[in-house]
Amino acid sequence: MSQIKRLVLDVLKPHEPTMIEVASAIGDIQDVDGVNMSLYEVDQQTENVKITVEGSDIDYDIVLRTIENLGAVVHSVDEIIAGKKIVEEEETLHDRG
Amino acid sequence: MNLNIEEGRYIILGSIDGLLATLGIIVGVSVTSASNPVIVSAAFGGAIALALTNGLGSYLAESTIEHGKLAVTEKSLLRDLSNTYVESLSRRKIMKDAVFSGAASFLGSLVPISPYLLSVGSVIVSVALSLISLVALGIYAGYISKQSYIVSVIKMVGLGALIIVAVQLLRISHLIQ
Repeated sequence: MSQIKRLVLDVLKPHEPTMIEVASAIGDIQDVDGVNMSLYEVDQQTENVKITVEGSDIDYDIVLRTIENLGAVVHSVDEIIAGKKIVEEEETLHDRG
Repeated sequence: MNLNIEEGRYIILGSIDGLLATLGIIVGVSVTSASNPVIVSAAFGGAIALALTNGLGSYLAESTIEHGKLAVTEKSLLRDLSNTYVESLSRRKIMKDAVFSGAASFLGSLVPISPYLLSVGSVIVSVALSLISLVALGIYAGYISKQSYIVSVIKMVGLGALIIVAVQLLRISHLIQ
């Protein structure tokens, strides 16, 4: 199977554990080179965050298990890059329009 | 040890409870018996009972609150939080609060008992030590609440003194009879 190089996840998490704890936990996963987490919505009980994970061969099941063990929920996989190298999205005429 | 505000609550609650309730036992028993072993025995019995009831009471209360909070969070996340880090944090908090409450209560009880253990036992010495401890608790309360230390001490000692006076009045009324 192809190696996953980048994952972008839409995640809903409780206030505890903090973003720092979640990012650290994901960063500790084997073959994960880096994590970017940004907060885009907050309410009384939860936080909506975007998590970008980059690595050489990311195991999605382990990432999912780590996130769920911390009490969070993956709403959607918004972007995924797999294969031998990172391929960025190309802008087409449709996007420019 | 780095204590947070939540732990401070149980330290103050437990200490005051142990201190003043045990002092009440000592004052009450000393009316009927001046014997050291009798007073120490009654006071220790009370101290242990207080520690256990405070610890268990805190455990039950915190369990209720924490499970309620978890249920609200689960509803927002639309998922079960059993066997997650979040649930383990809750369990740890419940145990910590129960232990702090029971331990603070027992340690508070030792203050009025200590003169009797050192064979310098008298109600006056126990009351004096208790008031000094209340001053220390007042300073701690002021530190946690970031309010005036003097106001905290006055509140703590004032309320404690009221209870001591009430117990002493009971003692005096028994002597009059």
